[in-house]
Amino acid sequence: MDPNTAGWALVVALFLPLVGAGALTLMPSSMDREIRRAGVAITAVGFALVVAITASFDYSRAGELQFTTDVPWITAIDARFSLGMDGISLPLFFLTSLLTLLCAIYTTKHLPSPGKPKAFLSLMLLLQTGMAGTFVAFDLILFFIFFELTLVPMFFMIGMWGGPRRDYASVKFFLYTLFGSVFMLVAFLAIYFQAGANTWSIMELSTMAPFGSTTFQTWAFLGVFLGFAIKVPVWPFHTWLPDAHTEAPTVGSVLLAGVLLKMGTYGFIRIALPILPDGAARFAPMIGVLAVIGIVYGALCCLAQTDVKRLIAFSSVGHMGFVMLGIAAMNEAGIQAALFGNIAHGIITGMLFFLAGSMHERYHTREIAVIGGGMLKKMPVYGVLFTYVAIASLGLPGLAGFWGEFAAMWAAISPGLGLADSYGGLYLGLVVFAAIGTVLTAGYFLWLIQRVNLGEPPERWADEPLADVQAIEWVSWLPLLALILALGIFPRLVFGVQDAAVTNLVGFLGG
Amino acid sequence: MDALLEYAWVVVALPLLSAVLITAVGKQLPGKGSEIGIAALGISWLLAIGIAWETFVNSPIEPLERAVDWSPLGGGFVFELGILVDGLTAVMLLLVTTVSFMVHIYSREYMKGEPRYTYFFAMLGLFTFSMLLLVVANNLLQAVIGWELVGLCSYLLIGFYWEGKSNQDAANKAFLTTKFGDVGLIVGVIVLSAGMFGLTDTPFNIIEINEAAFAGQLSTTTIVLGMLLIFLGCISKSGQMPLHVWLPDAMAGPTPVSALIHAATMVTAGIFLLARLFPVVAQSQAVMATIAIVGVITLFFGGLLALVQDDLKKILAYSTISQLGYMVAAIGVGGYAASIFHLFTHGFFKALLFLGAGSLIHAVHSNNISDMGGMARAMPHTFWTFIVGSLALAGFPLTAGFFSKEEVLAAGDIWAGAGFFTGSLVFWVGLAASFVTTFYMARAVFLIFAGESRSHHPPHESGKLMVGPLMLLAVLSIASGYLLTPMSPEAPNFETWLATPILDEEATFPFTGDGATEASPGTVTGDGVLAGAASPAPLAAAGEDGAVSILHGVPYWNLTKLAMVLVLFFSALFLAWRFYGKGLPERDPTLQMGGFSRALVNKYGFDDAGYRYIVVPVRDKLSAAATYSSNVLIDGVVAGVGRATKHAAVATYRVVDQQVIDGGIHGAAFSAAWWSEKLKRIQSGDVQKYAGVLVAGTILLVLAFAAAR
Repeated sequence: MDPNTAGWALVVALFLPLVGAGALTLMPSSMDREIRRAGVAITAVGFALVVAITASFDYSRAGELQFTTDVPWITAIDARFSLGMDGISLPLFFLTSLLTLLCAIYTTKHLPSPGKPKAFLSLMLLLQTGMAGTFVAFDLILFFIFFELTLVPMFFMIGMWGGPRRDYASVKFFLYTLFGSVFMLVAFLAIYFQAGANTWSIMELSTMAPFGSTTFQTWAFLGVFLGFAIKVPVWPFHTWLPDAHTEAPTVGSVLLAGVLLKMGTYGFIRIALPILPDGAARFAPMIGVLAVIGIVYGALCCLAQTDVKRLIAFSSVGHMGFVMLGIAAMNEAGIQAALFGNIAHGIITGMLFFLAGSMHERYHTREIAVIGGGMLKKMPVYGVLFTYVAIASLGLPGLAGFWGEFAAMWAAISPGLGLADSYGGLYLGLVVFAAIGTVLTAGYFLWLIQRVNLGEPPERWADEPLADVQAIEWVSWLPLLALILALGIFPRLVFGVQDAAVTNLVGFLGG
Repeated sequence: MDALLEYAWVVVALPLLSAVLITAVGKQLPGKGSEIGIAALGISWLLAIGIAWETFVNSPIEPLERAVDWSPLGGGFVFELGILVDGLTAVMLLLVTTVSFMVHIYSREYMKGEPRYTYFFAMLGLFTFSMLLLVVANNLLQAVIGWELVGLCSYLLIGFYWEGKSNQDAANKAFLTTKFGDVGLIVGVIVLSAGMFGLTDTPFNIIEINEAAFAGQLSTTTIVLGMLLIFLGCISKSGQMPLHVWLPDAMAGPTPVSALIHAATMVTAGIFLLARLFPVVAQSQAVMATIAIVGVITLFFGGLLALVQDDLKKILAYSTISQLGYMVAAIGVGGYAASIFHLFTHGFFKALLFLGAGSLIHAVHSNNISDMGGMARAMPHTFWTFIVGSLALAGFPLTAGFFSKEEVLAAGDIWAGAGFFTGSLVFWVGLAASFVTTFYMARAVFLIFAGESRSHHPPHESGKLMVGPLMLLAVLSIASGYLLTPMSPEAPNFETWLATPILDEEATFPFTGDGATEASPGTVTGDGVLAGAASPAPLAAAGEDGAVSILHGVPYWNLTKLAMVLVLFFSALFLAWRFYGKGLPERDPTLQMGGFSRALVNKYGFDDAGYRYIVVPVRDKLSAAATYSSNVLIDGVVAGVGRATKHAAVATYRVVDQQVIDGGIHGAAFSAAWWSEKLKRIQSGDVQKYAGVLVAGTILLVLAFAAAR
């Protein structure tokens, strides 16, 4: 495949799940097992194609768009069907495809009531197209459509296969994120008219930037900020997240944490920063402050949680805080850190949600106090995996979580865009508090390990036969477990791919 | 043979390989994986000896640095993975591999029959690897990685018996206390590297940072802020007060692990890092004074805590804290070589004491010295090796601890001579604390070995695999001191071993003390302790215009101070013999000192305060408040917006839609009829009336426009 001409490959990889979803709906509902296998087959073929794309990607030109497609689409409003990927898109696109495949594999054995794999898998495939499209769309309208496309399947996933409070959680998720999107859309329109170039092209608009008055930049950035900040979520827009995560089925949580949140940070990096650099510079200190509040606050909330899944959900608030801190640094190292943190969090927290789901399957509860410890005794392998992933999540060097966190703090010590001169002290403070956040993070994870993993199992579970990690779980987990280690030891796998693209992007910022 | 240094990475890699192999196949092997660990460490050890020899006999040597670009970090900066081999590295490699190798051999017997035996050896390998990764690091980021991995391994090993709640707590306490210090380390490293941004693409490179600091290219803010923060990391990792609280609890781990933690890995990391960055430390008098004062406080108050302990491992733990205080204090008074010298000798005799303690504990199934007594007869080898270790710890003449501790005191003395107050502090408090050290070690030795046995188990000598390491370490606890004594004045010695191109004979501190005590201005010489530093040699601590040399030169005898040390030693020994010579007294005198004893038993209240005023408020109060604010306050706003929208929607429907619009439509229908009734009267068909209305309307409009203008 020639990355310069094989735009079709990206189009196929992107819409294959959508076509697959259509195909699934044609299968009779009675063919339960076949439907589940078809889900694996579709995502596997899609993933194979993504692997092929990854393999033929020209890494020496990772800063430029490859596999591009750019044709007129809705001519009346100048919207174009514009796809492509550079070093920033590739890891996220890959992660999306991988996680969906693993989720499909997991679903062959595990699907909460009311079952209905056909509907579930169709929604998941629809979700995949939406998520993946977000990372490769280079037209604002197209981006917006993919971005919004994810809402519907996730809404139904939570609403139909969720926990007891699923109705509340799904509606809250849907409305809250839609609320932000409205402002984002208005900001996109403002950008379009202000630029006055009859284009929605992200690349062209980035090249033209900065345009418009400071007032325009400020207001437009505010609009875009609301849309993305809710998605990330940035403190204090986070309250939809614990509910959505807690109620969502395992696969929903994995994809939510693994990919959906990243669409927000990706949007900041791909759209908000390069197109509105002046607005970004004005908002950066505030973003930094909110990010660090999120880190410390998220960790504190985790300490108080009694439900494992809700705890992991809150941990996302803290981890995404590090990603936002990297963005607030407004320099190359910061963007690198943010993007690395994105990937690492997707893998680690996705894996944590898998584990939380399996814990629920076995214990039929997620209450820490009810589980009461001794998991390492009852299910030794599971216990080891749980410890491993928890330690990765607390940012231990050698595992994936470290690089995003350390690099974000490191980048924030000398922020770009002249922020170092006017806000040097503030940013030093941000680094210190972010570092304190890592201690709290270690605190809640170690405490969690102590309360569920260590010690002797309480009496109620002593005679309960709890199965250790099963074959299907190994298959769907091993890639993530391996990636956690691989990215920790070889950060180049992500940093190296992104490097040139990040340099180009920061070039747009004028920093 | 210089090529040997190129293979320093192998020393590091082998323990990692061992950990991986043991995890993979350990359980299938006859030795359950222990043979892999012993073999790997054995090779590492031999290689480390070779490297140490090379660097020592040729000292001072040019450091060897090899690095690969491991990953870009953005902005053109690069993270290197590399090795930096110089004398300091070689000293640490030798110490770490020796102790780790001995611990491996010893554990094969000591851990026999334990659950998770294989896992234990894998963890030992990983622990050793992590420390070595830090030791050979050519850049601070790699050092941070090794440092944090050391923390993880200590967590896993302290919590080795994770079935028990107290062990879990100890592991958590160790990890979190040191993690708190890591805030300082990480931010400090970031601050230092930020100072290098304009100068290099590899802002973490240690040699470049040291050179930049010496060349005055780093701002004072960078140096002071960066080093003080890094020192916070050292405070927690190297057990300095008040973050020492994790160390005594870390005794929850198996005893060989305690030996490893206290002698070679983990606690030495902080001292090592200060020495590694000594050219930066040396730039700031404020930083050095802070380090010295923390060290002095720790060496004195840490040691006192050992007086009231019954648990042998706790006695040794507090003695470690105290000895680490000496090392830190030495750094603070310019004793770069003295600090590492003490670290080196301490590593051997402390490993010896812990492994000896393990042998005793193994025999009587209790950690408490009140359960021992009369062990000398039953365990002769453990006895004499333990005595050697104790003498070295107490600084008895001609043991290794004697030479290295006096080197620390000499550093204080020289510093005082140069007009720095902290120098006198280190010297006198250090001297006083050596009395305390002798007393508590004598107390332990009398209670363990003298008198009648109080054990419920008939004690027996341990096997060869345990006694062998004790003997080797006992030899080293004597021999390692002779690397820097008045008897061996020629180079190479320990100090030339540690010299680097930056820290060479000419290197001086960039600041001077006020009012040097020396008569001749411009010459600052060590007043010399028994093994103190001398002025006559060319390496002397003299410099032009009052500057103090960083290297002190060869020590020489000073009989006055030798006498002082001996008097202190024998008076402490005598006192201990009076109290404990005949076995366990009814009432232990160290517990009969009223408020003082109470303060010691309560560990000055640090542990309690830390739990009560930090852990509980954060874990139980602050977290609850955050959750409340999230679930009730912030989410309340969200819910409020939701409710308001819903109300607005309902209101819109009822009022606007049903009443106004729909009502309007109804109304329109009615009103149309009503109005048409009225209006039809105008439509009279009278043209004159029409014209009149038209004119009137036009006039009205003209007037209206005119008024509007």
